[in-house]
Amino acid sequence: MKIVKIREDNCIFCHLCEVACIVEHSQSKDIIKAFKREERPIARCTVEFNYPVSLSVMCRHCDDAPCIEACQNGSMHRDERGYVVVNPETCVGCWMCIMACPYGVIKRDTRREKWGLSTKCDLCPDRVIPACVEACPNEALTFEEL
Amino acid sequence: MKIVIVGNSVAAVNAIEAIREKDKISSITVVSDENYRAYSHPLLPSLVVGEVSRSEERFYYRRSGFYENNKVNTVLGKRVVKLDLEGKTVELDNGERLEYDKLLLACGGKPIKPPMEGLDLEGVHTLTNIKSADKLRKDLKNISHCVVVGGGLIGSKVAEKLAKKGIKVTLVELARRVLFPVLDDTGADYIHRELKGLGVTLMLNDSVSALDGDGRVGQVILKSGKKIDADGVVVAVGVAPNIDLAKDANLDVDRGIVVNDFMQTSNENVYAAGDVAQAYDIVMGLKRPIPILPLAARQGRVAALNMLGMDVKYKGGFPMNSMTIGKTSFISAGIVDSEELEVLSIQKGDEYRKFLVDEDNRLKGMILINNIEKAGMFNWMIQNRFDVSWIKDTFLNSDFGWKYFNKAFRVLRLDRKIK
Repeated sequence: MKIVKIREDNCIFCHLCEVACIVEHSQSKDIIKAFKREERPIARCTVEFNYPVSLSVMCRHCDDAPCIEACQNGSMHRDERGYVVVNPETCVGCWMCIMACPYGVIKRDTRREKWGLSTKCDLCPDRVIPACVEACPNEALTFEEL
Repeated sequence: MKIVIVGNSVAAVNAIEAIREKDKISSITVVSDENYRAYSHPLLPSLVVGEVSRSEERFYYRRSGFYENNKVNTVLGKRVVKLDLEGKTVELDNGERLEYDKLLLACGGKPIKPPMEGLDLEGVHTLTNIKSADKLRKDLKNISHCVVVGGGLIGSKVAEKLAKKGIKVTLVELARRVLFPVLDDTGADYIHRELKGLGVTLMLNDSVSALDGDGRVGQVILKSGKKIDADGVVVAVGVAPNIDLAKDANLDVDRGIVVNDFMQTSNENVYAAGDVAQAYDIVMGLKRPIPILPLAARQGRVAALNMLGMDVKYKGGFPMNSMTIGKTSFISAGIVDSEELEVLSIQKGDEYRKFLVDEDNRLKGMILINNIEKAGMFNWMIQNRFDVSWIKDTFLNSDFGWKYFNKAFRVLRLDRKIK
């Protein structure tokens, strides 16, 4: 199964992966609208920087995903493609997936009225190549079999 | 093969899924005294105040159709009254018998009844299953002042929910802080502030000696002699493993049903998993029941795979909890308070971080308040007895992350080369 491979030596801390991720997960998938008009999605990847290290980190889509085991109501599940995704219809924001994630790559969206929403990389179900990989100018993120 | 599972919650459901990944043929029968499909226990306080209803899919542990899709026979609303280990059958309360080749006991826990008078009065509730939640929900209209007995996970959560609903709430806790095993004093103070902010009256270092009333509870009398007028009580002093069945069948039991590394009980055809099982605690270095959802799921899977004859070890677990009260979210794990361990902690504004490290430089526990996103990375270190000597200095940084790790290790981990 292909996932996003992180090649930190090539990362130049440009944050374009985050921009692409935000656009891809926005309502309109339009960069201006996503950043200026609509409620801005949370980037599923995170660029970390600690000179000279920089890298973008996102879900590793574990085979034995601990987040799925920790989920209290089956919201965190494996989709038809085999990737680990959240069902926003049922997620209640208990953050047990965050507690379990060994990579620390699940984020909290607390902007919904009633329930929080666990937010993580879904490996872009509408695309062939994930948005972050396509946006990376430097092949610091590549889409391949690990 | 015939597989019978007693219980129908997290451990049972994960066992079913693990069995069906490997084996489409064996028959699986699930027996539970609750007449519902598996649901989310942590949502019970929300069910009480009507934030979630039983008609919503989010209340359930798996989507509808789960049992049909996995070809599971369900025997719901029936209680198992006896295990016959010789004849390999279980007896139900209607006299029916079910034969098994492998049996999984995943029958969870029951609320502990504290020694006090008046528990049978009207208006006195517990909150561990749908039935008790429904009873409390229907009684809410009669409750203007509710005393919650016990400031654990259920007690604190139900106090918060009832207070938000506009009910006057008094929370009585025996210890000097709420969430005693889960937070330290500093951490618990965040929760104390949230609860007080919602109007909850906290009575710490005190306990209930009697409930008084004529038919319905009217007064709660505390050990300290204080008397509280109340027309509702929620008793939430903890749950104890349901070990009676196993005990009557002469299986090895201690506080829970004792299991080996393969989740097997003292009878080779009987396995136990979830809140009822007494499995290995990797932090304390002993076997004890740890009634938390992620471990029930893992144990259910491991038990199921071993029932199918695979050789899968349960690597042990440790307590971990994630909770939000008011605007404060926290995740804690392992040992949260200790005189012997090295303590690293920092408090800045809303955020609190605390880590406990032993003399071998192994992380033994942690508390994260309001900046919780990296909690799982620390739990991974606890689980894998990771040597933190070279990285623990960075634990207190709010921006803790992969960038602080040694490069070779980071690359291997992120490439999923080290589990």
